[in-house]
Amino acid sequence: MTELAGHCHCGAIRVDLETPRAAADLPLRACQCSFCRRHGALTTSDPDGHLHIEAAPGSANRYRFGHGVSDFLICAECGVYVAATQETDTGLIAVLNVRGVDLPGFEGREAQLMTYDGETPDERLARRKARWTPAVFVETNPSA
Amino acid sequence: MSDSPFTWHAGGCHCGGVRFEVALPAVVEAQSCNCSMCAKTGFVHIIVPESRFRITKGAERLAEYTFNTRVAKHMFCAECGIKGFYRPRSNPDGWSVNARCLDTTEGLDLRIAAFDGQNWEANASGLAHLSREPA
Repeated sequence: MTELAGHCHCGAIRVDLETPRAAADLPLRACQCSFCRRHGALTTSDPDGHLHIEAAPGSANRYRFGHGVSDFLICAECGVYVAATQETDTGLIAVLNVRGVDLPGFEGREAQLMTYDGETPDERLARRKARWTPAVFVETNPSA
Repeated sequence: MSDSPFTWHAGGCHCGGVRFEVALPAVVEAQSCNCSMCAKTGFVHIIVPESRFRITKGAERLAEYTFNTRVAKHMFCAECGIKGFYRPRSNPDGWSVNARCLDTTEGLDLRIAAFDGQNWEANASGLAHLSREPA
């Protein structure tokens, strides 16, 4: 089991990814949508892993666009894009912005360019359920 | 007819709340920085003097983040988090615009060089000329 930890710049939002894979075997994707390009997002996920997202109370802004079904978590303090989450019938799933939290183990890797234009909402949900990481989101004081 | 070597280019955040314009030459010197902040935002710097940048919409929607020396004013759209520009510590008299947030880079010869912001004190003076107003 690999455990990879990271946080936004100010530390208000922290993440912990547990995965049965080595970091080198996790995907690294550069989505080419208008949101991800502006944030320079490089993402990873593992459907067999578990992502724990911990945010100081009120520090995670939820931004929605496009189909409006997923929450893009932005740190209200430092503006860093941390992760996107979506509620599904099997629970919360998430994709993590490796760049935003400076997740270790991805240095020097070439990201795979991704475009998801033209997906229907059903196709998008099916892709995310197959690829994204089961997740929990909790609000708690970092000192707790 | 203007003989300015600069052309105004528009850009903005993702939600459309914040818009800006920046005057750029045909060949643009840009920097990709490896400091803790730029690494997390993927910021690609185009540093310009005060007179070559203007916020055209949404100044009131900007959130501001500072750390360490608190000289740099890191601004981002409070709605979508996009950091289209900010006041850099290396050039507090000018602006740094994020090349990723221009509406298009077509027609621009964008030359991105690595900037070692992890050793900021040793390297920042090399950027000072970029925000100097023409005499």
